[in-house]
Amino acid sequence: MSEADVATKPAGLFDRSTKGHALPTVSVEVERGQIRFFAKALGESDPIHRDIDAARAAGYPDLPALPSFFMAIEAMADEERALLGQPSLITLLRCDFRRLLHGDESYAYNGLVFAGDTLQFDTKIIDFYEKKGGLMEFVTIESTVIHAARGTLITATRTLLHRLG
Amino acid sequence: MANENLNDVQVGDQLPGTTFGPISRTMLALYAGASGDHNPAHIDIDFAKKAGLPDVFAHGMLSFGGLAQLVTRWAGLGRLRSFGARFVSMTQVLDLISCSGTVTERFEAEGETRLRISLMAQAQDGRQTLLGEAVVAVG
Repeated sequence: MSEADVATKPAGLFDRSTKGHALPTVSVEVERGQIRFFAKALGESDPIHRDIDAARAAGYPDLPALPSFFMAIEAMADEERALLGQPSLITLLRCDFRRLLHGDESYAYNGLVFAGDTLQFDTKIIDFYEKKGGLMEFVTIESTVIHAARGTLITATRTLLHRLG
Repeated sequence: MANENLNDVQVGDQLPGTTFGPISRTMLALYAGASGDHNPAHIDIDFAKKAGLPDVFAHGMLSFGGLAQLVTRWAGLGRLRSFGARFVSMTQVLDLISCSGTVTERFEAEGETRLRISLMAQAQDGRQTLLGEAVVAVG
C-alpha cells in the first residue's frame, strides 16, 4: 500500500489467513538493566525495580518486573524469532503502523517475573473480526510466559485493531 | 509503600488517585526503548504526519502501565492477580492522565479472598482514555 492510499478506506489489512497460527516458541532471558529501564520509563519510584538490596529486603530473589513488562518480553521474543529467520507477530499480521491501535489487553498473573529469569514465550493468533460496519478490524492474540520451575507466570489476551475509516 | 494487608477494605472504597504526565516526547522515546515497541507513530512526527495524524500519540501501553501502577502502589506487586483495560481514546502529547479506582467486589477464589477494582484513566479535559479492571489478593 502506498502512502497515497492512507486517505481512502482500504478493505481489511490484517492477513486473516494467519488465524489459528502459533508462532514458534522462543526462550528469552531477562536482564536487570531491562527491568530498571522499563521502571524508569514508567516513572516508577519504588526502588525494588532498580536496587537489588531493596528487592531482597522486600523478599524478592532479584529485581521484579512491573506488570506491563510483558511488552518488553514480547519484544525480546521477536528478536529471538528474527535470529531464527522467523517473522514477528506484527509482520505476520501485516500490521500497518499508520492505522494500528490497541483494542484491549487483559493479563492473568500467576507469579512475578524477575531479573535473571529464562522464560518461554508462546503466541497464538486466535481470531479476526470487524466492528462499526467494517470501519475497524480486530485481531485477538493469546500469549503465555512460562518459567520452567515456577510454571505459567502470565497469560495475556489482547486485541489489536486497524482503523480503516 | 503498599499497604501491609487489605483486610479492612470494603466494597465502594476508592484507591488513592495517581497522575502521570504531562506526556512528553521524551517519555514516549524512553517508553519505546524500554518496551521494545518501536512503532514510529509514537516517536517520529514525520511518520505521523505522513499517516495523516496531527502529531505523534502516546503508546497505549504507557497509560496501561500507569494505570497498573495505581493498583500495585496500593496493593503491592505480589498481590496482583489480573489486570486488563480497554483503550477508549488516544492519549496525546501534553495530556495529564489521572488514574482512579474503586473496589467493586470482595470474593473468594482459589483459596484466598480477592478484591475486584474498577479502573479509569482520564485526561485533563475529562476525556476517558482507558477503562479497566484489576483483581488483587487481600492477604
